Formats: sequence, structure tokens, C-alpha cells
Amino acid sequence: MLRLLSFTVFLATWWGAALLAGGEKLPPPPAVLAAIVAEADSGALFFNLGVTLARVALAFTLAMTLGAAIGYLMGRVPLADRLGDPWLIVLLNLPALVVIVLAYIWAGLTEVAAIAAIAINKLPIAVVTVREGTRVLDTALDEMATVFAVPRWRAFRHVILPQLAPYIATAARSGLSLVWKIVLVAELLGRPNGVGFEIGVAFQLFDITRLLAYSLTFAAVVLVIETVLVQPFEIRLSRWRPRAA
Amino acid sequence: MQLEVNIARKAFTNAAGERHDVLADFNFALGSGEVGVFVGPSGCGKSTMLKIVAGLDHDYQGGAAYPAGARIGMVFQEPRLLPWRSVDDNVRLAAPKVDDEKLSALFAVLELTAHRNHFPGELSLGLARRAALARAFAIEPDFLILDEPLASLDDALAVRLREQIATLVDSRCATTLLVTHDVDDAIRLGDRLFLLSHRPARILAELPIRTPRSARSEAEIAAIKADVARRTNGDRAERDA
Repeated sequence: MLRLLSFTVFLATWWGAALLAGGEKLPPPPAVLAAIVAEADSGALFFNLGVTLARVALAFTLAMTLGAAIGYLMGRVPLADRLGDPWLIVLLNLPALVVIVLAYIWAGLTEVAAIAAIAINKLPIAVVTVREGTRVLDTALDEMATVFAVPRWRAFRHVILPQLAPYIATAARSGLSLVWKIVLVAELLGRPNGVGFEIGVAFQLFDITRLLAYSLTFAAVVLVIETVLVQPFEIRLSRWRPRAA
Repeated sequence: MQLEVNIARKAFTNAAGERHDVLADFNFALGSGEVGVFVGPSGCGKSTMLKIVAGLDHDYQGGAAYPAGARIGMVFQEPRLLPWRSVDDNVRLAAPKVDDEKLSALFAVLELTAHRNHFPGELSLGLARRAALARAFAIEPDFLILDEPLASLDDALAVRLREQIATLVDSRCATTLLVTHDVDDAIRLGDRLFLLSHRPARILAELPIRTPRSARSEAEIAAIKADVARRTNGDRAERDA
């Protein structure tokens, strides 16, 4: 109910602003809706959204897997931490644009370059977060698993992983929002399709209606994925915690 | 299962870089199925000794010998349950091959049946300790290590839990190491008492109790208690002198 209200307020503000600024600069909601329907009719909307989502999924999975593994290693092995730390600081502070441009120069305007660039941008956040989680692992529980001779893999799955879960969830959450932002830039700069590419075209043609049509659909998809996939996952992870009164 | 422990020296380096001896010339042996109870002042190094015997601490001089592959069940000073698993799952993690019927019986003895599906966060300390005991017994250990399992429980509960431990120890015939600072618990549970000194911990005296646990009379317990008090006071006098 509250969500609906906040959505209505958003629409009303938009419509009011469109009336004030004129349809040239800010097209009113019906015009954008018409553009969305037209793009959907031709199939271009779903194709571009699909391509972008596939890139997001690939880059996200790659960065999370690698990032969690490296983060765990750095949290456990002091030598790895000392070796990796300078790289981590550089990667953390390197602007996304630099990584994307360099990736396209070195690997060509290819799909691999785009996905690698997005993944590299997200990687350090996953590493840092999981490393933090690994550093605060409870040694008391480790000792318990050792005494009871719980096999290594079982101990990792049932003793270590649940302790890391909130950190992995945080890394996933903040990483996902980063990927949403970066994927469009990567597409704008070097891919012939995807939401980012379409927005680039709309920018060159000064087609604000189309620009908004793609951005808003993209935002809607992000919202749906966050509520349908990410939030239930977080709730599942924390189901053992006593409910707050 | 025979247990033989010879710790020549165990030292800690504190944050200021000073080395402190925690254990020195700490030697004892326990026969198969025997319950050895260690009584000593708090902070004397009892838990450190248990960690060494359990194979969790290798940074010491000496050795602890028991048959390879011996199953160890341990109850730590804190329950150390996995908060994200129910009591039942906590036990099953340590004892994956446990027989369902035996496990139910064990939960019944420890009065945990109603709490099998609760998460540790929903348990009181007393219940959590019992869950930790259930875990240690569920693996049918050859060698049982109990680190102050009755500390900070109210008297009535401690007495009940002590009886439960005695029942379980007798039924399993596991060689047991129990650490406590409560002399009464020590005498009621142990077959062999070891009185410990202050740091660095040494064994001041070894007192075997020949009467079986269930047959010990209050008078006998009182007599042993007086003996223990006399010996430990001697240590204090020696230290103060």
C-alpha cells in the first residue's frame, strides 16, 4: 500500500515536472509508456534487456566466485594478505572507466572484454568483504570441529560458510548494485547491443523518450530482481536468528 | 583406552612479549574407563592442559599418547554450539552415524527431548550445556574431555546434571578427563583426583578413590573433602611463606 503511494507520488511529480519543463526536455509518462510498448512490440526491448541481464549474471557470478575465494584466502593466510593487499587497494580505487577502456583496448571490443571489465570492477569489494568475514571467524567453533573430527569439507560447509554468509550476502548486495551501474557504461563504450548501447544511441539522437523508456524498464527489472531474488535469499540466510520482538 | 600425558613445559607469550610458564612437569596416566578429575584454582592452566590433550594445541614440549583413531568427545567451558543449526543437527554434525534410537535415549536422559528442534539462541545456558554434553556422548567416545561442565549453573540443576554425567560415563566406559574447581563435584564424579597448584600448574597430589561412584557414602565424601582441603591449604601456606 505504501509502495503504491510512493509510486503514485513519483508519477505525479514526474507528470507535473514534464508539464513545467515541456515535452522536449522531459516527456510525460504516457509518451514514455508508448515508447516502451513500441520497443516491446518490436522485441528490441526484451532482446536488449536479456543481453544486459546475461552480462550482469555472468560478470556477477565470476566476480563473486573469484572474490569470495580470494577473500577467504587472504583472510586465512597472512602471506596472501600481504601480497594481495596493494593490488586490492589499487583495484578498489581504480575508476571503473579506466578498467573498461583498458579492457577494450587490450582484448578488443569483445564480449569477454566487457564481462571481464565488469567483473574486475566488482571483484575488490567482494574480496574485502569476505576477507573481513574470514578474519572474524570464531576459532572456538573451529576447535569444536577439530576435536570432533568433522571432515574438512563438512566443517567448511556447516561451520565456516554459515559464518561467512552475511558477509557474502553483503558483498552480493553491494556488488550487484555496482554491476547494475557499470554494465551500462561498458555497453555504451563497446558493445553493439544491450540497454547501455540503446541509451547511448538515444543520447546521440537526443531522444529523451527512448532514453527514459530504457532506463525505467531497466530500473523496474532491477527492482523486481532485488525483491524476488535478493531479499528472500537474505531472509533465508538469517532464519535461525531469534526474531526481533 | 589408556591415556598417558607428559607435558614438560608449556609457555605463553603475552601481549607485552613476556613469557610465562603455564604448565611444568605435568605428567599423569589414566587407565581404560577411568575418570580423572583435575581440581585447581581458576587460571592455573587446566583448560590449556585439556587443549593440549585434545590435540588443539601443539605448541608445547612433551607428548600426549593415546591410541590413534580414538574418538574424542569434548565439552568445552562454553557450549560451542552452531547457532544456525538446531540442537538435533548440532549433535548430528559431530556424530553423523548416530543411531536414531540411541540418540533419542540420550536426549531423554539429558531431558532435552522437547528442545531437539530448538536453535541454540533459544536455549538457556543450562540447556545449551546439556546439548553440548549430548553431542559429546552421541559420538560414543573412547575418550571424553569435560571442561567445567557444571560451572555457573544453579545448584539444583548442577546436581541433576552431575548425576546425568555419572550415568552416562558409567554406561559408556569412556576414559574421562574432567576439570573443575568444585571439590564436591570432583569427589562425586572421579575415580582419581589430581590436585593442581597455582601457575605454573603442577600436580600436587594424586588421590585414587576406590569405592565405585554409586556406592560412595556422604561420610566418605566428607572425609575425602577434608583430605583435599588439608592438602590444598598446605599449598597455599607454602606459597605464602
